[in-house]
Amino acid sequence: MASMVVISTTAIPDHVGGALSRWLIEPTPGLYVGTVSARVRDELWSAVSASVGDGVAVLIHPADTEQGFAIRTAGQRRRHVVDFDGLQLIKFAAIEAEGHASGTSSAIVK
Amino acid sequence: MTTSARRKLAAPTLAMLPRVADSLSFLYTEAVRIVQDDTGVCAQVESPNGTDRVYIPTAALACVLLGPGTSITQPAMATFARHGTSIVCVGAGGVRSYAGVLPASLTTAWLEEQVRAWASDDSRLQVATRMYEMRFGASSAPAGATLPQLRGFEGQRVKALYRLLATKYGVKRFKRNYDPDAWDDQDPVNKALSAANACMYGVIHAAVLALGCSPALGFVHSGTQMAFVYDVADLYKARITVPLAFSLHASTDPEREARRRLREDFRAFKLMPQIVADVQSLFDSSGDSSPTADRASDLVHLWDPQAGPLPAGVNYGFEAASVSISEFDTRDLE
Repeated sequence: MASMVVISTTAIPDHVGGALSRWLIEPTPGLYVGTVSARVRDELWSAVSASVGDGVAVLIHPADTEQGFAIRTAGQRRRHVVDFDGLQLIKFAAIEAEGHASGTSSAIVK
Repeated sequence: MTTSARRKLAAPTLAMLPRVADSLSFLYTEAVRIVQDDTGVCAQVESPNGTDRVYIPTAALACVLLGPGTSITQPAMATFARHGTSIVCVGAGGVRSYAGVLPASLTTAWLEEQVRAWASDDSRLQVATRMYEMRFGASSAPAGATLPQLRGFEGQRVKALYRLLATKYGVKRFKRNYDPDAWDDQDPVNKALSAANACMYGVIHAAVLALGCSPALGFVHSGTQMAFVYDVADLYKARITVPLAFSLHASTDPEREARRRLREDFRAFKLMPQIVADVQSLFDSSGDSSPTADRASDLVHLWDPQAGPLPAGVNYGFEAASVSISEFDTRDLE
């Protein structure tokens, strides 16, 4: 069951963008949109999130939540996904957090 | 026409706002300052590095619960109002007060239905009976049951439900207790139930206002400004908040956990559209659909018991027989 997927990227290595453009289209710089199955999406995301370097990537896809979508992030900037009793909102941190957490975080809190 | 587009963004029309059935259920805030900047509403949280900001999707939310330690500025309050978001002030100890808004262009169709059903004792009892049957199954209320009898049946059923759930979860001697003075030393079940009910009331309050109904004119409850909200909430407590609360009998943070679970239930049971549909079917004994599906009413009519609604903004001076009609009189005064 394929569903829409949106990936937004900032300052990622060129080869990652090139790879993404083979699955998805790029309507504006750094924004990739397409329709793929959940399995392909997960594979693609694990590859992308492991290779963002100092950049940032955000994946948004439909999910069975009240908001109707889930957010996953790789890399860190000033925006963090915060869970408010099951509602996912974005916290805009006061200043750049110390050091880049290069690990991935999945914002879906079970 | 950029100016009109700008105005539309600043003060959205009813057509731009999601219907309450489609909206996110609630957001609970605690110890934050809610302000408006650049026309967006955000919650400011103090952190070691300075001030973190979380933007709040006002138009998509049915209600915002302001918990202990929150403050809110006037522009932020006005923006909540313009987007029809209910605001509930939730004090420590479950003390609540509500603020809601009524867009001037909201249709009165449902309010008139509600008042009609409420104003006669017969139809009021019919609605109360219908509520009872919604909760406990069709024909669970014996024909011709009086309101005191219904109250008695309801009390027994709720007690039985508590007993059943207490046995199921191994809770010893549960007694419902919402005494604000003894808030902190209550058991997790009571805390979870109070927290979940507070959210439930807020969401129902938002739904009732979005339909244009009065939260004050209850059918079973009466006497407070929230009587109808309590009526509607009772339709779902036995199915949703009570089992939810008992399942948290061993929780270390029952209130937060209850809110998270309740949001899940809102989604799983499709509760928002359900609330709207249930309120509509309560007033509408025939079971056919709404008097009007449209929320907005651009027209103001004049009521006439014989002729039905008449257009307003017209001079009806010629209706008085003693007045001689001149051409001037028949023109609109608009």
